[in-house]
Amino acid sequence: MSAESGGGKVRLFFREAIARALAEEMERDERLLVLGQDVGAFGGAYKEFAGLHETFGPDRMRDTPVAEAAMVGLGAGAAAMGHRTLVSITYMDFMTLGLDPLVNYAAKARFKTAGRITVPLVVKTTAGAKGQGVAHSQCLESWLMGVPGLKVVAPSDPASAYGLLKSALREEGPVVFIDHKRLFPKSGDVSSDEWFAPIGKARRLREGDDVTVVTHGYMVHVAMEAAQELSEAGIGAEVIDLRSLAPLDAETIAASVAKTGALATLEEGQVTCGVGSEVAFRVMERLGPVRAARVGPLPAPVSSNPVLEAACLPDADRLVAAVHQLLGQAKTKGTA
Amino acid sequence: MIYKLLVPGPIDDVEQVRVLEWHGEEGHAFAQGELVVELETHKALVEVRAGQAGILRSVISREGDWVDIGSPLGLLSDKADEPVPESLEELAEMALSFEVS
Repeated sequence: MSAESGGGKVRLFFREAIARALAEEMERDERLLVLGQDVGAFGGAYKEFAGLHETFGPDRMRDTPVAEAAMVGLGAGAAAMGHRTLVSITYMDFMTLGLDPLVNYAAKARFKTAGRITVPLVVKTTAGAKGQGVAHSQCLESWLMGVPGLKVVAPSDPASAYGLLKSALREEGPVVFIDHKRLFPKSGDVSSDEWFAPIGKARRLREGDDVTVVTHGYMVHVAMEAAQELSEAGIGAEVIDLRSLAPLDAETIAASVAKTGALATLEEGQVTCGVGSEVAFRVMERLGPVRAARVGPLPAPVSSNPVLEAACLPDADRLVAAVHQLLGQAKTKGTA
Repeated sequence: MIYKLLVPGPIDDVEQVRVLEWHGEEGHAFAQGELVVELETHKALVEVRAGQAGILRSVISREGDWVDIGSPLGLLSDKADEPVPESLEELAEMALSFEVS
């Protein structure tokens, strides 16, 4: 995937794209602090903070106890008092403990105070299943999409991790930045120049005429694999990487579905009240009824047993099957 | 005899590595067990050691290059003056040991 800036590019591991965005922003803004478990000398659970403690010191890279409510609360409070904070929650499952200060305070503060108090807080967290069982595997992003005042972004590669984190760290209100365990082994080209990914804009990664596949995060890679398989079967899948879940770029998605006439959504989080449900409804608000399918995991907790984990998670085969069914049904139903 | 030194694997959870540092220049004679090259994964360092003595003849993957598991890092030979062939196809693999830390 291209670096998008048109200038030079450098290939980085996913973790390095995160560290670079933070290093640049910490250099620029001395009020920016990072709070989290093992963010200090250890360099982060995925080494995504490596080098920052050495450069910026323990006052700005602050290790915390395992106390997510206090971490988000401190981060929100410090941000409200003139700092800018990034709070790292290693596993998204434990965001649940930090939801009160995030949802009830940080997201609301500027509305409650007529804009006098802003909370420039980024909560960075890692979602997704990778062999760690029921309480270290979840993708809860759809829970956050409907909170007024909260923005939610999800990178799919090093370039978008860099660009989205840069943008998130310039926001005046709280942003949740959701990466994924399976993105960390990946590398990719990132702009050599400073670059900001616009929050609220989706990106079309692949063009196609027969079906629009909308997804985000690690599932982008699964969707691209499925799109390749579909192409070999003569079906053109247009793949859209949301990047921003809140706000949601409904116009880009609807424009694509207006062209293809069919929508398939793919997510690793539960489909009930999921990202795909919201995407489909926003499209139908604009286009009227369209053929749509949601692809997601089984409605079950993710096991640490790798066979059961794989059975639970959506994969390229399930997306391919869902698209075949979606388009096949359309044929039998004619133009209805 | 000429040998090709390949990126060792499999390494759990690793798709690609980046060459961090060669520990000898072309012409250097590595003893068995000597550290030849260090590789960087997304979360760890990989030390590649010579499993046999050999003279480094050609560095194929330079520091900063990205390489797949099983792709060639360089060529080594028993003797300093053996001609290096154009194609790597027929070459024997250099014996090595590696440690991920």
